[in-house]
Amino acid sequence: MGLRDDIERYKEVGENRRQDLSEFIQYGDLGQSRRDEVRIPIKIIDLPEFEYDRRDMGGVGQGEDGTPQPGDPVGDPEPGDEDGEDGDPGEEGGEHEYYEMDPEEFAQELDEQLGLDLDPKGKKVVEEKEGDYTDLTRTGPTGTLDFERLFKKGLKRKLAMDFDEEYVRAALRIDGWGPARVFEWARSQENLPVSRAWIENAYEELPRDERGIYADLEEMEEEVERSSTAQRIRRDGVDEVPFRREDERYRYPEIIEEREKNVVVVNIRDVSGSMRQKKRELVERTFTPLDWYLQGKYDNAEFVYIAHDADAWEVDREEFFGIRSGGGTRISSAYELAAEILDEEFPFSDWNRYVFAAGDSENSSNDTEEKVIPLMEEIDANLHAYVETQPSGNAINATHAEEVQQHFGDSDDVAVAYVSSPEDVTDAIYEILSTEENNE
Amino acid sequence: MSDSEDTTPITAPDDIEMQREAERLEGPVREAAALAKKLGLDPYPVNYWIVDYDEMNELIAYGGFQQRYPHWRWGMTYDRQQKQGQFLGGKAFEIVNNDNPAHAFLQISNSLADQKAVITHVEAHSDFFANNEWFGMFTDDPDAAARLARHGETIEEYMQDTDIERAEVEKWIDHILCLEDNIDQHQPYTPLSPDDESSDLDTEEVADELGDLELSEEVRQEVFDDEWLEARREDDDASTFPEEPERDILAFLRKHGRQYDPDAEKAVEMEEWQKEILEILRTEAYYFAPQKMTKVMNEGWASYWESLMMADENFADGNEFITYADHMSKVLGSGGLNPYSLGLQLWKFVENTANRRHVVEELLCIEGITWRNFHDTVDFEAVLSVLEPDDLVASVDPDELDAIDPSDPRIDAEALEAARDGEIDLDAYPWKIFTYEGMCERHYSLTKPENRGFISRISMEELEQISRYMFDDSKYESIEEALSEVDYSVGWDRMREIRESHNDVTFLDEFLTQEFVDEHNYFTYEYMQSSGDYRATSTDYQDVKKKLMLQFTNFGKPTIVVSDGNYRNRNELLLEHRYNGVSLDLEQAKDTLERVFELWGRPVALRTIVKEYDDHDLEVARRRDREPEPTEQGLEIRYNGKEFRREDLEWAEVEHLAATDIDYDTKPEEWLA
Repeated sequence: MGLRDDIERYKEVGENRRQDLSEFIQYGDLGQSRRDEVRIPIKIIDLPEFEYDRRDMGGVGQGEDGTPQPGDPVGDPEPGDEDGEDGDPGEEGGEHEYYEMDPEEFAQELDEQLGLDLDPKGKKVVEEKEGDYTDLTRTGPTGTLDFERLFKKGLKRKLAMDFDEEYVRAALRIDGWGPARVFEWARSQENLPVSRAWIENAYEELPRDERGIYADLEEMEEEVERSSTAQRIRRDGVDEVPFRREDERYRYPEIIEEREKNVVVVNIRDVSGSMRQKKRELVERTFTPLDWYLQGKYDNAEFVYIAHDADAWEVDREEFFGIRSGGGTRISSAYELAAEILDEEFPFSDWNRYVFAAGDSENSSNDTEEKVIPLMEEIDANLHAYVETQPSGNAINATHAEEVQQHFGDSDDVAVAYVSSPEDVTDAIYEILSTEENNE
Repeated sequence: MSDSEDTTPITAPDDIEMQREAERLEGPVREAAALAKKLGLDPYPVNYWIVDYDEMNELIAYGGFQQRYPHWRWGMTYDRQQKQGQFLGGKAFEIVNNDNPAHAFLQISNSLADQKAVITHVEAHSDFFANNEWFGMFTDDPDAAARLARHGETIEEYMQDTDIERAEVEKWIDHILCLEDNIDQHQPYTPLSPDDESSDLDTEEVADELGDLELSEEVRQEVFDDEWLEARREDDDASTFPEEPERDILAFLRKHGRQYDPDAEKAVEMEEWQKEILEILRTEAYYFAPQKMTKVMNEGWASYWESLMMADENFADGNEFITYADHMSKVLGSGGLNPYSLGLQLWKFVENTANRRHVVEELLCIEGITWRNFHDTVDFEAVLSVLEPDDLVASVDPDELDAIDPSDPRIDAEALEAARDGEIDLDAYPWKIFTYEGMCERHYSLTKPENRGFISRISMEELEQISRYMFDDSKYESIEEALSEVDYSVGWDRMREIRESHNDVTFLDEFLTQEFVDEHNYFTYEYMQSSGDYRATSTDYQDVKKKLMLQFTNFGKPTIVVSDGNYRNRNELLLEHRYNGVSLDLEQAKDTLERVFELWGRPVALRTIVKEYDDHDLEVARRRDREPEPTEQGLEIRYNGKEFRREDLEWAEVEHLAATDIDYDTKPEEWLA
């Protein structure tokens, strides 16, 4: 016993009070959850006591700047003073706590509840390999020295120190100019990075008779052409690049983790005009638990969301269940896009693929037979599923689900499910998941 | 002074960093205790423990103790504490438990300033535990850590006992915990031994046995008719018990309760373990009751002395002071009604009022000053300048010690001697050379900048009241003369008296004044039926006091008593809610009744008074923006183990439950429809 045990017991007590899983899937508030954390409301588990009615009790507050006057609204009593306004006072659990489970737990729970046991197929093992030598460090084996970088840095330094030596020498030839005068001119007027020592040295080396050949600065400037650093490098090459210890960098390989990416789930949804609020909700209720389930089953899950009317486009999960567009419906557009994405990014050799589509079974004429069914056959996947959400039973032209079902029959990698109300959701999930379970 | 012979009261696990922290805090711990004593406090000795963040959370979850009985509730608090810590940056400040010696915990990650703040706060709490009489109601020697650990072991053993289902034990604990506030906290705790039981001859048993005989209803009616049973019941002494309504529901259940056996569908004797656990939890309820009853006082008390030691006595070094001030504003300024800040403000008010009263008494003895002309005649600036603490105590210059007269009653001669010999670091601990008297003057409240208007703010009413009991009113000729003998210790002496005998209810009742309510912007609020939200209703201190009393009387819970243990002459339990104008939360009351049923074993009923609003009245009220007048209606809720039955009662049956002398409603008259 002890702390661990008490936390464990609390979790158990909490679990007993959380909403039943199927009830949660069918009617619960899915919006509180994230993809990696399923949040199921639990009734608050504080013990009951004889207490005053919260509202009838009133209370005392303390004004911060001045005191509110009688009649001023003061907002709800501080949180922490039991539950606030929402919920009937005293209704056990006016406040909402959540029981949090991760997708693994969710999958396990759902397995138990639906009597499923999907065994995920691993397609790739985790491996760690060295990627390109792109990261840098200050020390390392000589072989990994980033010479290019060292050279560039050195060159930069060189350029910073470079000046037009000929031009300065020319200045020394001006009549009456000594090293001191030239130095002053070079530094203050020309901004040349030349040292006093260099000038004196150059002056010494200058043959006597060359001194004073220009009458003055103007003449020298007229006679002598300056060259830019770039010109000089092109002309003379770089003989001495000053390499500095502090510029040395050694490359080391970037570590790339090849993780076991093994499931990709493509969610396709018809967002055309006929998909009204209720239908949308039913899709969300069916798809969301499927996503959690597969995420819980596989080490790594990727999700692709495709919305379509007559055309298809990829969207983020946040938008996926909310989108509504005007146009007609052409389901094959979505499958074309799915095929493209899957081929490019998720080769079947490396990935378990699930392609789930949902809509109200309305499609443009012949699209199902001529395009969708061939595409479904063509796209390799562990499982294809179509979920028909038709709250009011069948519409006349809505035959997509039927056609798919007729074509594939009892195939073990194509499932068709019908959802006309929240009650059907768990059955649909079962239908879909059990289809794959049998295709071992 | 330097090396105390006692072992250091800090314990740290065998870990280099924890040990280092313990070493670092040795000085502050020792000096805080010495300073507390100097200030007139008399705490239990405190044992400090260095703990890490997780251990701190665990201690918080277990109510400050390292060993408690196994229960999911601790796990829940821990879980919440951790989640909260993630948002609040893990600032958990002090835990100290009421024990002799007291135990307090210092989190290793706290800054030095925070540790010092915790230590000074803890010393003051420990003083409160040791000296407040309500804590004595449990026992003078709480022996708490050992006691709670023993409770834990006993319950753990029952849980591990193979003859007892662990789940049963846990459920039993839950049932009892629902009633943990239903004790008689105003009476001293008296333990119940396992054979403390009334030998109530149980007429119901006779009835049950008759039932078991499987006699046909006709035969039963013929031979043992209801009249016969009734007569038996009336003979029975125990038929009307308790004689007086019993507030300690847990004790009553322990003595007379049964458990319900769902298989036999009847009440059977409680098992030994059930009785023992019931008594254990009742004991713990009594142990924790004083802390719940003195929260405002105790937290205020600790904050008061903490702030005095930390800020006024420079217990925090200069650079620690910013974080300390930061910590204080976090604790005190967290909005809403905060027991720390309410308590702190009240204690300061008590201090100021006591000091002022004493000063005013002296001033009224000056010739020519009467309560009527007080405000116009007294030169308050002159009063304050006379009261200003003497330089001797106001500051200490270690280089001028020779000038200090050791026989001055404000000077601790021994310490002065030691300081002269360089044994005391007066830069760090200037207070060491003062006596209590010296400290009183050094920290005199009325001349502090924030209180300088306090004397002149005295009301005519209070002046008149003070002067009523004065005889010689022309003793002095001048302010200087009147105040020459002023007693600087009046405030602190009074505070210590109050901390000895009061609890939150009496404290608020006695010291909450209009002056206080105005100064601190307190107001009351109520829920409006007409607008469906909460509105401020009053800033009158009487109203504020009423609401606070409601919030602090009886742990802020409604009073429920056992009225009849042989209700309907069938050994049913009748509880009564003493209605004070504020309704019960009925849904929760029903949930609680279900638990009471488990501890009584037979049907249970609760009588209360509910407020009912007529739909039409509500509608009219909304339209006119007036509050509707509810009708009060007697109600009985009965639970028989399967279902609830609600029955409206005649007013005569509940009249005795309705308190007529109190009214907690603070809505202005004119708002009513």
